[in-house]
Amino acid sequence: MLEVRGLQVVINSDLQVVRKVDLSVPKGTIHGLIGESGCGKTMTGMAILGLLPKGAGLQAGTFTFEGTDLLSGAATLRGRRIALVSQDPAAALNPVLRVGRQMDDVLRTHSNVAKPARRAQAAALLAATGLPDPDRVLNAYPHQLSGGMQQRVVIAQALATGADFLIADEPTTALDVTVGAQVLALLRRLVAQRGLTILMITHDMDVVAEVCDRASVLYAGITVEEGPTEALLRAPRHPYTKALLAALPDARPKGQRLAALEGAIPPPRQIIQGCAFAPRCPMAMPVCATPPPRRTEGERFWLCHLEARDA
Amino acid sequence: MLEVRDLVVRYRRGFLSAPGLAAVNSVSLTLPLGHTLGIVGESGSGKSSLLRAILRLVPVTSGAIRLNGQDFLSLKGPSLRVARHGIGVVAQNPFLSLSPRLTIAEILAEPMQAAGLAVNHRARAASLLAQCGLPAEFLTRRARELSGGQAQRVAIARALTLSPSLLVLDEPTSALDVSVQAQILNLLQDLKQDLGLSMLFVTHNLKVVAHISDSLLVMQRGEVVESGPTDQVMQAPTKAYTQELMGFGRHALRP
Repeated sequence: MLEVRGLQVVINSDLQVVRKVDLSVPKGTIHGLIGESGCGKTMTGMAILGLLPKGAGLQAGTFTFEGTDLLSGAATLRGRRIALVSQDPAAALNPVLRVGRQMDDVLRTHSNVAKPARRAQAAALLAATGLPDPDRVLNAYPHQLSGGMQQRVVIAQALATGADFLIADEPTTALDVTVGAQVLALLRRLVAQRGLTILMITHDMDVVAEVCDRASVLYAGITVEEGPTEALLRAPRHPYTKALLAALPDARPKGQRLAALEGAIPPPRQIIQGCAFAPRCPMAMPVCATPPPRRTEGERFWLCHLEARDA
Repeated sequence: MLEVRDLVVRYRRGFLSAPGLAAVNSVSLTLPLGHTLGIVGESGSGKSSLLRAILRLVPVTSGAIRLNGQDFLSLKGPSLRVARHGIGVVAQNPFLSLSPRLTIAEILAEPMQAAGLAVNHRARAASLLAQCGLPAEFLTRRARELSGGQAQRVAIARALTLSPSLLVLDEPTSALDVSVQAQILNLLQDLKQDLGLSMLFVTHNLKVVAHISDSLLVMQRGEVVESGPTDQVMQAPTKAYTQELMGFGRHALRP
């Protein structure tokens, strides 16, 4: 559904926020986009939404959504096919308007149905996101709803645009663990029932493990590894993916030191010659000063000088 | 060293209105010296109210708190000030808890000035930073020039300024990336060993707290629903709620 090859985003012609992102998201799947802060996850999402900041330059080998070229900015599909579910639902909703009015604003923009029918549509969408008593929610202000309910309203709004591709940017980070798990279960159900496709931006490996079919790991704006979730998490190939997993608190027995990854990601101004991760990589070799080869194995790929058997 | 018995905190809605629901309902806990107690619960479970009551930032309705053998709730004025030196606090977001206006040296000197500590402030600040894994160059910087992990190290250094015996950590890693979180957890582990600190570690992330705590307290709606040694709670949670908190993501990630 979404095909991205060699995506590059440069801001003010010297800040390389996205250096080389490859993504392939088939219809009806959830694809995870993993990485630390500053790795270009959100910027990749914004590029797909056509919401890049002023002064940003976009380049890519391939950047298509079901055959539509996203490179020519005019063809933005945001609000028709692609919608955003952001991290903080309280910030995504207007605090001074009732939920019903905010749902109606979306529905009115996207259809020419009469007002009473739109009300019924809005209630049906809220019900589809698992909100009990949709009529009460329609009459409520956002602050009267819990965080989980607010996020469900935001998801209902995304569905109201008619979009079948959601970009979910850390949709559960602001929520409690159990509420977050319910929202993830809802997204999973929407994929199964409505054939939605979701790009899930997250830094939480548990979220990836819970809902994603496939995932890409971003480092310094480069896709360093991509593959089916289970293979990626159980047998990571790229040293950065390994380091991220080893740093999880349940990766080591209680009380033992965690394998913390020292150092920092290269700043966006830095020009990267060889492997971007080499300065922090425990397995770095002299050859890492040259660009790493793309290695493939079944349905996965990674960028590393190490052979699979050594990695 | 810290003992809480049947603590109840109720917030009043107004001056004359009847007391509302209990935010903390009859909570008891014991924290021996050198131990780490993890307090887990979701928003609204009462963990922040419990912490604030222990810091005496909110009025306690009933119950008792003993800190180092002293009846902490009866302390007033100067004796309360001195007793409070024994508690260091680290908040969730270092960029909110560190003044953007002051240099790191000034931030670390502030508690020393307030307590009238007769030491060379700059030298003490530098040694605190070193203990928290930061070089002395950071003394002249300001919080906004630091990464999240570095800023949280400064916040921990500040909490240690007055040599407390108890460190209260409120979600100290939830604003950080996993790799940085691991660094901070390692640092806390080292400090615990080197300084024999006791810690109260509040979080909604059961996995983080399970790694660092000796015992656990699970809170829901103001009450303790489960408590005990970490291994026992993790291996055989008796409450469905604890299982729900723990099970997330686990089945797919670990064989």
